[in-house]
Amino acid sequence: MTMRLVSAELVESRQILPGQWIQSFAAPELATGSRAGQFVHVRTGDYSGLVLRRPFSINTADPATGIVTLHFRTVGRGTEWLTRTREGDRLDMLGPLGRPFEVDPRSHHLLLIAGGLGMAGIRMLADEAVRDGRQVVVLFGAQSASNVYPSSLLPDEVEYVVATDDGSLGHHGFVTELVAEYEAWADQAFACGPHPMLARLAQLAAGRRARLGVAKLGRKRGGGKADPLGSTAARRKSFLQVSMEQTMGCAVGACLGCTVIGVDGPLRVCREGPVFAAEEIAWPNA
Amino acid sequence: MKAKRTVITFGDMRVGKDSDRSKRTPTVRKVKSAIVPVDRIKVPGAGRPRVETGGSAVADLGAPTAVRPTLAEQAALDKIDLSVDLAPEHGGLMLANPIMVASGTFGYGVEYDEVVDVQRLGAICCKGTTLRPRAGNPPPRVTETPGGMLNSIGLQNPGVDAVIEKYGPLWQGWKVPVIVNIAGESIEDYVEVARRLDGVPGVAGIELNISCPNVGKGGLQFAIDRDAARAVTAAVRRATDLPLLVKLSPNVADVRPIAKAIEEAGADAITAINTLSGLAVSADRTRAFLGNTYGGLSGPAIKPVALRVVYEVAQVVSIPIVGIGGVTSLADVLDFMACGAVAVQVGTAIFADPELPVRLGDELRAECLARGLSSCAPLVGTALPKRAGAPSAKGAEYRP
Repeated sequence: MTMRLVSAELVESRQILPGQWIQSFAAPELATGSRAGQFVHVRTGDYSGLVLRRPFSINTADPATGIVTLHFRTVGRGTEWLTRTREGDRLDMLGPLGRPFEVDPRSHHLLLIAGGLGMAGIRMLADEAVRDGRQVVVLFGAQSASNVYPSSLLPDEVEYVVATDDGSLGHHGFVTELVAEYEAWADQAFACGPHPMLARLAQLAAGRRARLGVAKLGRKRGGGKADPLGSTAARRKSFLQVSMEQTMGCAVGACLGCTVIGVDGPLRVCREGPVFAAEEIAWPNA
Repeated sequence: MKAKRTVITFGDMRVGKDSDRSKRTPTVRKVKSAIVPVDRIKVPGAGRPRVETGGSAVADLGAPTAVRPTLAEQAALDKIDLSVDLAPEHGGLMLANPIMVASGTFGYGVEYDEVVDVQRLGAICCKGTTLRPRAGNPPPRVTETPGGMLNSIGLQNPGVDAVIEKYGPLWQGWKVPVIVNIAGESIEDYVEVARRLDGVPGVAGIELNISCPNVGKGGLQFAIDRDAARAVTAAVRRATDLPLLVKLSPNVADVRPIAKAIEEAGADAITAINTLSGLAVSADRTRAFLGNTYGGLSGPAIKPVALRVVYEVAQVVSIPIVGIGGVTSLADVLDFMACGAVAVQVGTAIFADPELPVRLGDELRAECLARGLSSCAPLVGTALPKRAGAPSAKGAEYRP
C-alpha cells in the first residue's frame, strides 16, 4: 500500500509499564494496508517548538476493527506530548512507511527477539505469524521484572521467554544468551532492540550454519543466481532480519537523515528499512 | 457483502470482476467487508465502491485546508498572477508561483509524490549534487533542536551523471521547473557539474551551494570568502547558460559584500540563507551527537536571521532574492516578501507537513485576492527602508 496522510483518532491510551504506553487509534487505512515491520510518522503539536514528526513502529493493526496501536516510551517532548492527548483527539500520521519483515513461506518456526521497547517492532509479526499458522517463540529482554512486557498483551499461541539483566524474572542475563536454545528449532529469526543486541544476534546468525550444519534455505543445489542484497527475495531467504532505529527527518527517503551504515554504503532506515537482512548491515567489530 | 451480491445479479461487469478477485483472495474480501461501515460513516451517501473513497475522506478531515471556493471566487483567484521570473536578464526562469521547496528536504521530487501534487509547486530545488558520488557523513545525521533541526547529511548523492540519467527524463515531463543544487570542493568541480547539466532537458536552473570547503584554498568555505564566492560564480556563469542561483551562507560577519560580488559575477538570483552552523551534544554528554560533530541549523529558529540577511541583501543587489529559513506559514512568506524576497523556499517544515508548500501557494493567492492585488509583486520589499542602507548599517552595530 502506498503511504498517505491519515487523520487517526485516539480511542484508547494506557500506560502498560512505567513510562511505556500503548495508544490505540481508529485509522482504517493504516489498519488494512500495513504489514509487520512498517512504521508511521506522527506529527506532534507544533505549539511547543517541535518541528519534526516522530516515527513509531506499528505495534498492532486490526483490519476488522480499523484500529492500529502504537507502543512507545516517553523519552522526550514529543512522546510526552503524545501521552497528554485525549480520546477523540485526531493525530496526523504519515504511513504506512518502510519495508516490512519478509517471512519465507516455507518457514514454520519463527523466533522473534525483542529488547525492551523493541517489542513494538516485532509485536505485529507475532500476530501475522499466528494468523498464518506458524509457530512463534518470542524472546524478550529487559533490565528488570518491572520492565517486562506483559504476556497478556501477546497472542495466546506464542511461547514467551523472558530474560532480565538483574535476574529478577526469567533468565539472568541478556536475551541473546537464550538464542542458542532455539536457533536449531527456528527457521527464521526477526529482531528489534538496542544496536548492541542486534549486532550480537547478527554475529550469532553468521555462525549458525557452521554450528548446526544446516543448508541455506532456497539454495539447495548451491547454484543459480544469488538475489541482490537488499531485495525482497534475498531478505526472505535470510535467517535473521532486524528492525533498525535512527533519528529521522522526512521518513520518505528525501532527506537522507536516517541512514545506517550498510556493507555497500549508507542505507536509509525509512526506505530500504527499517527492516534489513542482517547481512546488509556493516556491524561494528563484526 | 449483501450489497455486492445485489449488484452482481444486475450483471455489472466491473463489480463482477471485483467479486472474482475477492474469490481468489478471501482475505481481501474480509478486509473490505470489515471497513464498509466505516466508509459509510465517513462519506454519507457514498455509493461508490473501493477503499479510495474512505481514504480520501479521512485524509480530508485531517488536512487543515480552507473551505473550497465557489466558482466565482475560483475565477477571481485564477486571475491573480503569482508568476515570478528568477532570471529576468538571462533567458528567464518562470515559476508559476513563488513557493519553492528547498534543496535537501524534497529529494529529487519523487519521494513525496504519493502525498503531494508536486506539479503545483513553484519550483523544486533538488538534493545537492556533486561531480562524483558521495556517501555522506557518518550517522546520526539529524536531530531536533528547539524550534529547528540540525543536519549533517554530508551531501550524500549518486553524482551528477547518475542524477541526470535517473531523473532527467522524468523532470522533462514535469510542469514544475527543477533547479539542480550543485556543490563541489573546487571551482573545477562546480564548473564540470554545471557543464554536464547544461542543455539537459528537464533541468530548469542551477543553484550553487557555496557553503562547501574550498580544498584548493585550505578548506575555507567559498561562501565566507568574497573573492572565492565571486570566482566560483563567475566560473559557473561562463560554463552554462542555465539560470543561476547562488545560495548565501549566514555564517559570516557581513553578507553584503559577498552578495554584491555574486551579483557582479553574473548570478541571476540569490538564495538566502543556507543553514547556520550548530552543534548538539549526545545524551551521555561524552561527545557531539551528530556523527560529523557539526550540523546545519534550520527551521523556525533561524527565521529572524534569514529575514535579517534578506533585508540586508535586498538593499545592495538588484537581482531577485529567494528567501529561505523557517517558513511554516503564510505570515512567514509575507515577512520574507516584505523584506525583499520575490520567492521563498520551504524546507524543514515539509517534514512535519508535506502539503504545506502547495497550501502556501493557495493561501498566497487568496491573500492577494483579499487585498485586491492582481499579483504578489506589490507585497515585495514593503518593509525595506526608503533610504537604502541606513537602518541595516545601524543594526550591524548591535551585532555581537
